[in-house]
Amino acid sequence: MDEKKGLSSSISRGFTRFGRNIAEIGTTFRDGDWTAKLSFVIMGFGQLVHRQILRGVLFLALEILFIYYMVSFGAGYLVKLPTLGTVESYVDKSGIVPITVYGDNSFLILLYGILTIFVIIAFVYVWRMNVAQQMRIRKTLEEGKALPTGRQDLKSLLDERFHITLLALPNVGVFVFVILPIIFMICIAFTNYDADHQSPTNLFWWVGLENFKNLFSVGSSGFGSTFLTVLAWTLVWAFFATFLNFFLGLGVAMMINRKGIRLKKLWRTILVMTIAVPQFVSLLYMYKMFANDGLVNTYLLQWGIIKTYIPFWSNAMYSRILIILINVWIGVPYMMLMTTGILMNIPEDLYESARIDGANGWQMFRKITLPYMFFVLGPYLLTSFTGNLNNFNVIYLLTQGNPTSMNLSGGAGYTDLLITWLYKLTVNDTNYRMAAVIGIMVFAVTAIISLVVYRILPSVRDEEGFQ
Amino acid sequence: MKMKKVLAVALAAGMVMSMAPVASADEIEYGEGTITIWVADEVTSFTQAKAEEFLASNENYSGYTVNVESVGEGDAASNMITDVEAGADIYGFAQDQMARLVSAGALMELTGDYATFVAENNDSGAASAAMSGESTYAFPLTSDNGYFLYYDSSVITDVSTLEQILADCEAAGKGFYMEINSGWYQPAFFFATGCTATYESDETGAFIGSDITYATDEGIAAFKKIIELASSSAFYNGSSVGDATNAAAIVSGTWDSSAAQELFGENYACAKLPTFTVDDTEYQMSGFGGFKLMGVKPQTEVGKAVVCMELAEYLTSAEVQLERYNEVGWGPSNLEAQADEAVQADEALSALAEQLAFTIPQGQYPDDFWTLSTSFGDDIIAGTYNNSSDEDLLAALTTFQETLQSYAG
Amino acid sequence: MNEKKLRSQSGHNRTVNIVIYVILILMSIIWLFPFVGLVLQSFRSYATEYGGMVAYFIPKEFSLDNYTWLFGSESSFPKWYLNTLIIAIFVAILNTIMIVGVAYALSRSRFKGREAMMQLWLILGMFPGFLTMICLYFLLKQFGLTQSGAIPGLILVTVASSGMGYYVCKGYFDTIPKALDEAARIDGASSARIMMTIIMPLTKPIIIYTALTAFMAPWCDYVFASYVAFGYSDSYNVAVALTRWVWTNDYQGYYTRFCAGGVLVAIPVTILFMCLQKYYVEGVTGGAVKG
Repeated sequence: MDEKKGLSSSISRGFTRFGRNIAEIGTTFRDGDWTAKLSFVIMGFGQLVHRQILRGVLFLALEILFIYYMVSFGAGYLVKLPTLGTVESYVDKSGIVPITVYGDNSFLILLYGILTIFVIIAFVYVWRMNVAQQMRIRKTLEEGKALPTGRQDLKSLLDERFHITLLALPNVGVFVFVILPIIFMICIAFTNYDADHQSPTNLFWWVGLENFKNLFSVGSSGFGSTFLTVLAWTLVWAFFATFLNFFLGLGVAMMINRKGIRLKKLWRTILVMTIAVPQFVSLLYMYKMFANDGLVNTYLLQWGIIKTYIPFWSNAMYSRILIILINVWIGVPYMMLMTTGILMNIPEDLYESARIDGANGWQMFRKITLPYMFFVLGPYLLTSFTGNLNNFNVIYLLTQGNPTSMNLSGGAGYTDLLITWLYKLTVNDTNYRMAAVIGIMVFAVTAIISLVVYRILPSVRDEEGFQ
Repeated sequence: MKMKKVLAVALAAGMVMSMAPVASADEIEYGEGTITIWVADEVTSFTQAKAEEFLASNENYSGYTVNVESVGEGDAASNMITDVEAGADIYGFAQDQMARLVSAGALMELTGDYATFVAENNDSGAASAAMSGESTYAFPLTSDNGYFLYYDSSVITDVSTLEQILADCEAAGKGFYMEINSGWYQPAFFFATGCTATYESDETGAFIGSDITYATDEGIAAFKKIIELASSSAFYNGSSVGDATNAAAIVSGTWDSSAAQELFGENYACAKLPTFTVDDTEYQMSGFGGFKLMGVKPQTEVGKAVVCMELAEYLTSAEVQLERYNEVGWGPSNLEAQADEAVQADEALSALAEQLAFTIPQGQYPDDFWTLSTSFGDDIIAGTYNNSSDEDLLAALTTFQETLQSYAG
Repeated sequence: MNEKKLRSQSGHNRTVNIVIYVILILMSIIWLFPFVGLVLQSFRSYATEYGGMVAYFIPKEFSLDNYTWLFGSESSFPKWYLNTLIIAIFVAILNTIMIVGVAYALSRSRFKGREAMMQLWLILGMFPGFLTMICLYFLLKQFGLTQSGAIPGLILVTVASSGMGYYVCKGYFDTIPKALDEAARIDGASSARIMMTIIMPLTKPIIIYTALTAFMAPWCDYVFASYVAFGYSDSYNVAVALTRWVWTNDYQGYYTRFCAGGVLVAIPVTILFMCLQKYYVEGVTGGAVKG
């Protein structure tokens, strides 16, 4: 993962490849016969002439589909993309009742505009493929070989090109439901889409970097200091949620695994039940349990341990600690399961020889168990750290980010993670513009941390290593 | 009961005939479709029945069916704003959401006869709550969106002063519940000492001005009392009777009356809010008198627009409000329904009526008002201002006031 | 061989074991407490103790009030339950197909763009999901898959992006020796055939693990489900429907009903999980070793 080198070299590689492509297209056109030349305009023509019916029909169909899409749908949205619409909605009050006439819908213009750009890129790619095939047809024929038939094409999809069969659908799915929305939301960060500019009633438009300025401005109206507070807690939370759980889970696993401890299965089963019970049930119950007038406070008061109730959820410090502890309750069973499996995999002779050397339990733990764990679980810990940065459920089902404070803006609270704050901005305030900016920041934080840790981890690079 | 129902149907039918826009009724292409209505869970089946009765009463409406969903007043507004197109055609909401809904284009303006109907048939507070600027945007549904005190008469000896209530609660190890981190309950203190907090909105739902006087001596007095309350061992922050496990007194509204009766049993009692004393001056706790409204989503077709308007008007008419009161106890906003004997005799409603004398009718407030008030309240509960000097309190109030003012204009 | 040494340590061992037993018992109590509480509350009599919050652990009177109410005419609980079950079953099947396909391709084939695709997906995974929620909502709306069509919509969105969760599964596939494939290839088997007849039979634990995690997720899906189904209660899943009872003020005295609903949701998932726990552990450890 040598990023800098990777980036600059891939940029220069990109340019050379682009140049090569252009040159190749040129020679294909120059050297090709009339069918190849015509195929530049009518895709699939060359294939059809040379009896590659399946390929020819597919290319032709794609071209027709593309033209139809652009004419009937795409072009209209693409044209409006630079302004995001200009026709305002209005209310016609001339009749018995006011009637609303909707104008341009900025939201759909942005969404379909982006989609259309991608459709065009995809079409160019398909066209390039089509051109490349003309060259291949010519070369194959010159060599006196037979062109692959439709049947052979189909068969190869189950053999040497089997990965295409397997990956086609997942890639389409990821594109439509992940990539497209992400790009859309990145674009939102550069618009003024919020409660006052909401489709279809109102238009919104591009505002450049205004939202980012708002995030980094440290003033009473700016989001800057709030962002830092929330970010700091997010990092602290993710650290504890990952490593506290890891060590406690490992500890529990070692206790249960210890020779001479009976009922191993029972202990594991009891802990693992927490995984199976849906979080919205267990967490909401826990929340009520620790309420000011909940079970815990009531019994503590009854037994005379405390004089007044403990404000678990209204005191920022208490609620942060409590959240981390409750997360231990949730997370330790996972870690226990995972480390149990790995503990059993550690070769017994490692311990054997350590024992002969006179090592005690603690030394063996430090020198053998822990390094082995970190090696094996390194990538998992990283994923779970980034997962915890975005752990919505635990926070939202427990505190919803509360308690809030006058010191924080944008409705953020002291237990809010960036992700829950984002959710509140989106759903409660419909402040999409700021939500998009914060979303991008969340991404940046996650990506930076992942990159840094990835470089440190020993077990990441040797993908082929374990085979 | 049965008699009443028959009567109501007859009345309803009569009313519909008298109110249909006579001049143009024939010219309208009524069309067909489904009308979606969002109301609180309690009244879904009631509303479904009433709406069906209404549609059956006029053959022009025969093309329409109605679909009532239980979406609470709180959720309705935010759902509508998320996607107006997919939202309900008619929906109930708390009035504080109105400006927000208007500016998001989620409410059809009431013009002509409809506006007159709202102005003439409802109490003045309700009628003005349905307006933003000079325009009317909704039909008042209830006038009971205020709060007062439910209490356990075996624990609380004297409900006239807050100090005594707290002392009784502390002695019994019970709690006094009030949701002071809510912008809706906080003003009970601030308005009591003479502070104001109002906003002015125009016909597009935009906020154009505010009148907020929290950063004053009166504000400090109220502030001190809230801090004192929050640090009492008997204080619990909350207003939901169903969630309260240790309540001897709770500040809430009529929607909690059956839950409160269940909770306190034969000791159930209610009263206006108490007075409180700061530096030897006694103040009567105030608050908001609020309203629930029913709005119609902007429509693109005349036929459906008219049917929706007529239906919403019917659902908020005197008979239906009265029937709704009989079913679930919602206090009417309609003057005629308010005059009904049963309504007049209602214990919770009369406690509310007594309290309403000390409150201000709730106008329009920006969403940020509620959010910031919650932050302010959370700070108080967390003890941020305990032991603060008067200057510090004034400084905090000044920040609070200035931020609140920044939401307008 | 070490018997003597072990025996000499046995006194020390016994004290350690006793301490461990104490810790384990304490932990068991803490871990079970919320469940026991939940179950007890769900049996609290609605008729005599109402359904609100209470501050005592053991109900004064036990009854099935809450359960009978859930299945009575007043509640749509069976409908919500069925919705969730349908989503869970479809998602479990389709997700597994997608994930296994992706993991197999990435583990066994070396093709142009493989690294790039894996890196791209890794990066995409770092974008917070909610950010795209509103966009997804309007995308689904274009296909008519919101509100009344929310169930297929939710399945579609979950399944469409499921391929990105291939890590653990690929890790597991990576541990299966490639020599097996090569031997089969010499015998003239195609890639598809190798996958179906040779590799698949060896991957039962990871398939069960994948299906099980996919099956469990929809029972917790609150955020997106509530967004897609908004204002249309026939399309709610249990998480959306039940959390309303706790969070919305309209539902006073629904707390015990929430507990009863929660218990009913927890039962099948727990039983399934307990039965398949063995595979879950094998899958998760086998995959995480490389994951």
